[in-house]
Amino acid sequence: MTLPEIALRLEHARLGYGRRAVLADVNLTIRPGDLWFFLGPNGTGKTTLLRALLGTLDPQEGRVYRDAEFLSHRHVGFVPQRCELHPALPTTIREFVLLGTVGIRQDKREAMHSLEWALSQVGLDGMAARDYWHLSGGQRQRALVARALVRRPKLLILDEPTNGLDLAAEDALLRCIERLNRHEGLTVVFVTHDITLAARYAKQVALFREGSVTGGPKETAFTTEELTRTYGVRVDVVRQPDGTSSVRMEGNGATA
Amino acid sequence: MIQEFLDSWALFHNTWLAGWLIAAGLSLLGVLTVARDQIFIGAAVTQASMLGIAFAMWIGTLIGEAAHPWIDSDAFLSATAVVFSILATLVTSRPSGQPGKESPEAVTGWVFLVSASGSILLVAHSPHGTEEIHRLAASSIIGATAGDVWIFLGLLAVTAAALTLFHRPILLMTTDPATAVAIGVRTRLWSLLVSGWLGLAIGLSIRVSGLIFTFGCLVLPALAAKNLSREIRIMFWLSPMLALGVTGFAFVVAHHWDLPPAQMAVVSLGGALVIAWAARAARRLMQRS
Repeated sequence: MTLPEIALRLEHARLGYGRRAVLADVNLTIRPGDLWFFLGPNGTGKTTLLRALLGTLDPQEGRVYRDAEFLSHRHVGFVPQRCELHPALPTTIREFVLLGTVGIRQDKREAMHSLEWALSQVGLDGMAARDYWHLSGGQRQRALVARALVRRPKLLILDEPTNGLDLAAEDALLRCIERLNRHEGLTVVFVTHDITLAARYAKQVALFREGSVTGGPKETAFTTEELTRTYGVRVDVVRQPDGTSSVRMEGNGATA
Repeated sequence: MIQEFLDSWALFHNTWLAGWLIAAGLSLLGVLTVARDQIFIGAAVTQASMLGIAFAMWIGTLIGEAAHPWIDSDAFLSATAVVFSILATLVTSRPSGQPGKESPEAVTGWVFLVSASGSILLVAHSPHGTEEIHRLAASSIIGATAGDVWIFLGLLAVTAAALTLFHRPILLMTTDPATAVAIGVRTRLWSLLVSGWLGLAIGLSIRVSGLIFTFGCLVLPALAAKNLSREIRIMFWLSPMLALGVTGFAFVVAHHWDLPPAQMAVVSLGGALVIAWAARAARRLMQRS
């Protein structure tokens, strides 16, 4: 598949449900290979924009251009906040990850090959036959990523996947996502509340506040002014010589 | 004992076959009920089917069975049982966690209580109604017809074929609806189909086999299979196998000692679950050591 120049473009889009608008005048362009972080307080429309991205929500006004092939369900992988599988239900990593092949036409050999590839990408190689419930919280979250990757997606959407993870598990997950973006060319949309993660890993940032979205390359969108306006508390962004950023929150003096 | 059972085949083959087919079909659907952790929904839906049958009887006393003999027919009673069962399944299977809305557990409890009490109230003044409701509540599979056997064979065949072809999207929708929606699974349609089919199976089973046998076959084999399996897909094989094997054993024993086969089957399935729990505990102990 040849990659399109633009995967998704919203121009002056108004998004919402029924007559109620959640986001207004949204202008955003997502290109193949981007690594977006969607940041903002609860209830500011991150999920609404994800729905537009997935094609399950049409704009009330404005234009939404979606590359239908690039953003078809076959090419989208989704990682939810947590696994909702009932803990008493028996399953292995293999069975759990292969649930991600729903809607994909693969013979058994291809499916096994994709399974091995997906597990190797998240550092769970050779563990396919293991009991899913014997994994640690961080490993389970990586198994969720593997379940999304087994589809061989072009776009990976992660909806607050680091909630409840300890620092080491969070770091392992983010390194995995960054590697997939850099080496596999995977387009990533990462929804989170954690601005320190965005400071370290984002290439592009979209900030959600009070019905609007400001987005673009991290250098222009992830600034002290924009973050302070978004969160309502002073957040200082410090650019490091190596090109990464760190943030300092008002009051606690902590730096990330 | 087995020879005695085989000798009874000419007289009771419809009973045994209908019992096995109901057990196998419901135990397959029971895997989905157990996967959703909605076991109490099974109880509420079977109770709602009883309410459907009581409602049909009440209509009969209201407008006169003599003038409208179809009201007293098996087909009408089964149809109302199915309609009430499907309605109850749809009402109780709503996704959980919607802010500002009543929880599915509360709705399920309401369905169970209203159906259990309502079915008694509706037939309170019907000459045969109370007796029929008590018979259904107690369960009896004696009296199944050849037509019943064909109906449950069809139900089992369709259920098995659908789960063979679509068990992954159904499982994903059951266990992780957010992801299912994101990757294009039409969750509302699937949920409607699964709930409707479950309602149909329960509604048809309750008329022939009663509440205890229907509910028992829905949840007990799937629960036992859950404790003996390493993967959900194995449960889809093991649950009907257990249902067939254990009900077969129960029918032979019940016939030998002249005991009610439905109750014997449910007690035996309950025993199988205890053995499955013990097997699981033993497996864990061995893994630790």
